[in-house]
Amino acid sequence: MLRLRNVSRSYGDGPVFRDLSLTVDSGEVVAVIGPSGVGKTTLLRTLALSLEPDDGAVALDGTDVWTAEESERLALRRRVGMVFQEASLFDAPVARNVEYGLRIRRPWADRLQAQLRSLVGLHEPADAVGDALDVVGLSEKATQRADSLSGGEAQRVSFARALAYDPDVLLLDEPTSDLDPRNTAVIEDAMAKARDRGIGVVVATHDMHQAERVADRVAVLLDDGVTEVGPTERIFEDPSDERTRKFISGELVY
Amino acid sequence: MPLESVAPLLPIVLGSPVTADLPALLGGPVAADLPALLDLPFRDGYVWSIIYVSLYVSLTAVALSTLFSIPIAVVMGFTDFPGKQFAKSVINTGMGFPSVVVGLLVLFAVSNQGPLGALDLVFTKQAMIMSQFVLATPPITAISLAAISGVDQNVRDAARVLGGTRVDVALVVLKEARYGIATAILAGFGRAISEVGSVLIVGGNITGADGISKTRTLTTAIQLEARQGQYETAMILGAVLVALVLTVNAVVIRLGDQGVHR
Repeated sequence: MLRLRNVSRSYGDGPVFRDLSLTVDSGEVVAVIGPSGVGKTTLLRTLALSLEPDDGAVALDGTDVWTAEESERLALRRRVGMVFQEASLFDAPVARNVEYGLRIRRPWADRLQAQLRSLVGLHEPADAVGDALDVVGLSEKATQRADSLSGGEAQRVSFARALAYDPDVLLLDEPTSDLDPRNTAVIEDAMAKARDRGIGVVVATHDMHQAERVADRVAVLLDDGVTEVGPTERIFEDPSDERTRKFISGELVY
Repeated sequence: MPLESVAPLLPIVLGSPVTADLPALLGGPVAADLPALLDLPFRDGYVWSIIYVSLYVSLTAVALSTLFSIPIAVVMGFTDFPGKQFAKSVINTGMGFPSVVVGLLVLFAVSNQGPLGALDLVFTKQAMIMSQFVLATPPITAISLAAISGVDQNVRDAARVLGGTRVDVALVVLKEARYGIATAILAGFGRAISEVGSVLIVGGNITGADGISKTRTLTTAIQLEARQGQYETAMILGAVLVALVLTVNAVVIRLGDQGVHR
């Protein structure tokens, strides 16, 4: 459904990737693995429709994103969610953070009304907020301030914030690289739940074990492009590309 | 006129039966607690009229200045354009611009020969608001801009990838910068209400024949009283000015705290 075709993107003096093609279907987890600095974040931002490629096409359900009208592009962009390595929560209570995506999708009149209601303490967050917090196991923290959370909890809230508006595609950029094993397990579990809801999940990670644990398919990003994409087991057991094999076996050191 | 000098006249005006009740009317514990204020040569309404003019001029100027400054700070915080650094240094220079010179320039502008001469604004509150506006705008713009620029880029990115439009992202940034912006407005208000030079030049420190302030502010009144050797009066007015500034600060900080503990 979300499809990159022969996409190229350069940054500064050199290309980040060239001629890259990748498809993300609903209800699957795709892991993007590769060494640091190879362009995983750029790839995810391209998939998030927030970065226009220099060349090639990006399409969501067959609609070309970057030739579409501005209003249509916004509608397409709003079907995608992204979580960064850092939680980047807003300075507000947890529930208001999680509700953000829902809130900005409402008409201005409704938003204003909800704002007034929250000023007098009458605002009740939508059910989706509680559901999303349930997925990451933080329902009881809904009324706490975001800055009172631990790093792991903040990242889980950040995940819930991207999940709450039920995106079709969810992009996770190194979501657990700063987290302890327990919080990592919660996030990985939440990825599986998102997949079960029919969301296409893309996770960029430098942790190959995590890719093995969570992904249905793996894309290996080396130097200036994807060297290989395939089912997780095959990529790890029997990679067909020589450089992929060297990277996975640890021979290719960056 | 001192209140005590009025008191002996009251029975004549009101008739003798009141005389017996007069100490009760004036007296009691309240009057005993306020001898300092009652002894001072304040006419009825004099102090209040000065406070009113001070607040009216400063609050109006700061409100207008805020409406003018915040959009500029938002645009400068969100866009890159040629000459941005120059614009920033102009604003920063404006923060230290001598207020008497601002007063002089506004006086030229509103004088009969000036471009706004037809509006007949010399020695009016409106002219004072104009000069206060010019003085309050640079600090409000500069401090707001610093607060807006200081908002984490990750937070802007988050608002955008969650589906925010440019307006949504700007609103998020304004909300994240709210304490800095409150500080900016306070700084502007502090500069406006404690300013003497320009309001003296464009306002003229005028009271009406009834002693009620037309363009006299707390600052210019203090300056006048001190020059006339009325140090006690000047001190009282100074205390009122300090109390006023503290009150406004406390209200703004309280509002900010509600934002934190909501």
